[in-house]
Amino acid sequence: MSENRNRPDTHKHETFTQEEYMVMKDDLLRPIEKIGMAGKIWIAFLMAVLVAGIVAYIIQETKSKYVTTSLRDYTMWGIYISNFLFMVAIGLVGVLMSAILKLTNFEWYRPLSRIAEVIAIGAIMFGGISIVVAMGRPDRLINLLIYGRIQSPIIWDVIGITTDLAACIILLFIPLIPSLVTCKNHLKNLPKWQLKMYNMLSFGWQGTPEQWKLLKKIMKILTALIIPLGVLICTITAWLFATTLRAEWDSTNFGAYFVSNAFLLSVAVMTLATFIFRKAYNLEKYLTEMHFDKLGQAMVLMALIHGYFNINEYLIPAYKMSGLHENTLLNLFIGKQALFYWSVVVFGIIVPFLLPLFPKMRKPIPLTIISVIVLFAGWFRLYLIVIPGLLQPYLPIQDVPASWTHYFPSAVEMTVVAATFAGLLLLVTLFSRYFPIISVWEVAEGELEGKEEIFNYK
Amino acid sequence: MKKYNYFLVTCLVILFSITNSFAQDKEAKITLTFTKADSLYVCKALVTSEGKPVAEVPVNLSVKRLFSNLPIGDAVATDSTGIATFEVPQDIPSRNGKLTIFANIIDDENYMNAEASGEVHWGTIVASDNSNVDERSFSAGRDRAPIYFIIASLLIIGLIWGTLFYAVLQVFKLKKLGIVQEIKD
Repeated sequence: MSENRNRPDTHKHETFTQEEYMVMKDDLLRPIEKIGMAGKIWIAFLMAVLVAGIVAYIIQETKSKYVTTSLRDYTMWGIYISNFLFMVAIGLVGVLMSAILKLTNFEWYRPLSRIAEVIAIGAIMFGGISIVVAMGRPDRLINLLIYGRIQSPIIWDVIGITTDLAACIILLFIPLIPSLVTCKNHLKNLPKWQLKMYNMLSFGWQGTPEQWKLLKKIMKILTALIIPLGVLICTITAWLFATTLRAEWDSTNFGAYFVSNAFLLSVAVMTLATFIFRKAYNLEKYLTEMHFDKLGQAMVLMALIHGYFNINEYLIPAYKMSGLHENTLLNLFIGKQALFYWSVVVFGIIVPFLLPLFPKMRKPIPLTIISVIVLFAGWFRLYLIVIPGLLQPYLPIQDVPASWTHYFPSAVEMTVVAATFAGLLLLVTLFSRYFPIISVWEVAEGELEGKEEIFNYK
Repeated sequence: MKKYNYFLVTCLVILFSITNSFAQDKEAKITLTFTKADSLYVCKALVTSEGKPVAEVPVNLSVKRLFSNLPIGDAVATDSTGIATFEVPQDIPSRNGKLTIFANIIDDENYMNAEASGEVHWGTIVASDNSNVDERSFSAGRDRAPIYFIIASLLIIGLIWGTLFYAVLQVFKLKKLGIVQEIKD
């Protein structure tokens, strides 16, 4: 026993042989070769929802928006914008799970990084689409770039989203290059076009020490870049609200509040994705219970931080209860939205803080259930920021049609929002069908603790 | 007798309605006079009907603003001489000092709706200081953004996109390194 303890850690990795590497490749590349009936049904379902969303959007654009949506003068931003906030929030998953863990040498990030990056790309992409569908005149989108003011957070949001999306795509692609060669060499029963695609996208990768050195260098630069970029788009999105004249949004805390919320939702979405990929692709050997344990611990920390900002966001204005904030706060605390608000606080902050404190709750199934609850509560938390905020303008609402004084999303709006989720899930599913969803070389490198031996495993 | 009760009540209600409607049909006329008493601006509204002053008629005073009329205080009832007296605030803003003041009777029991207006030079002229319109600031138009902000923004955007382009170029360098290795092999 004592001998085992004293044995250097590198010893156990000496057992990681070429054969084991072949098994690892088999395990991680299997989902690309085989697609079951359940997988096909899942893809068909997502495509159907996506098509329904496209049809709903065409209806919205071709008929009067006054009829097809519930958006009015006061609630000019509805669930499209709260959905955009949600997508931007979960888009931070790449920053947290891929960049921060990587740069701080938390080795358990390795099998999670690619999953996180794909989700981040999908979320940012469909977040951007959510803004366009919310626009009254999407044909004038180009005017934002032609006539936009550089001082406006809206312009910065557009710049931030496009930049972050580009950075995430490059950061996903570069570590994928060695994996594409692995796919090309290892997978034989694939259509020719797919093998050609791997060949073309692998950019002549030979696995030479110079190539590895360069690859690692670019990855390090991009990983460091992606952190401020992710935080930037989350903060700018918060500023879109903080600079708009509404009592509820009149907050200097909004940037930090949104970022902390995004980190909490990122942990939740990562847990859910890990659970699904683990079960669907039989990756229990790589996405282990240890990952759920770590994600559970991260969830407690993020819920604590978000809870702190939540207290800052609501308690201090509630303590002062100034005339400006009174209507909004009382509406949330004891008014029409009270049940909604307190449910969001309990399920979105207290539950993810308290339950994963117990090790039993950090097991895959309980933690995934908690994550689903947190994601639902997170979506509704953002809904509660947008809608009641809009319905409490500085000047009282008077002499307007009844439909202007409340908001409930129309069927068209709900279908389009459902389609953005379907689109995100479809993107992640299709990616995992054509590319290894777990980076083979990164996991192998983890096993070898970054030894030079990785170069021999082509 | 009881069987006629319903008929009698109906007749009385009809009679009351007719009387009431005739009563509401009375026309009223408002005459406005504006005076300065000591340092106060006073507006008097004389309400007459068929040439005689009428008492106890509530009169509302308002001042014309850009889109609609702004009420000045609560309604004031006419006294026994038919006059409702209002004190007009001295701080009502106006571009040229002119104010259009309205007095009206609305939904009165006895009189039809009536309105009268008059123009007085009682407004406070508000001079707008537009000297900073051409200055560069965060609130200015797109062509008047602060120079330091434009430079900082372009620098940040340039640095980030420059890094991204550099990363893409390195991918092609990877390809070159692969070709070199292939030749060596």
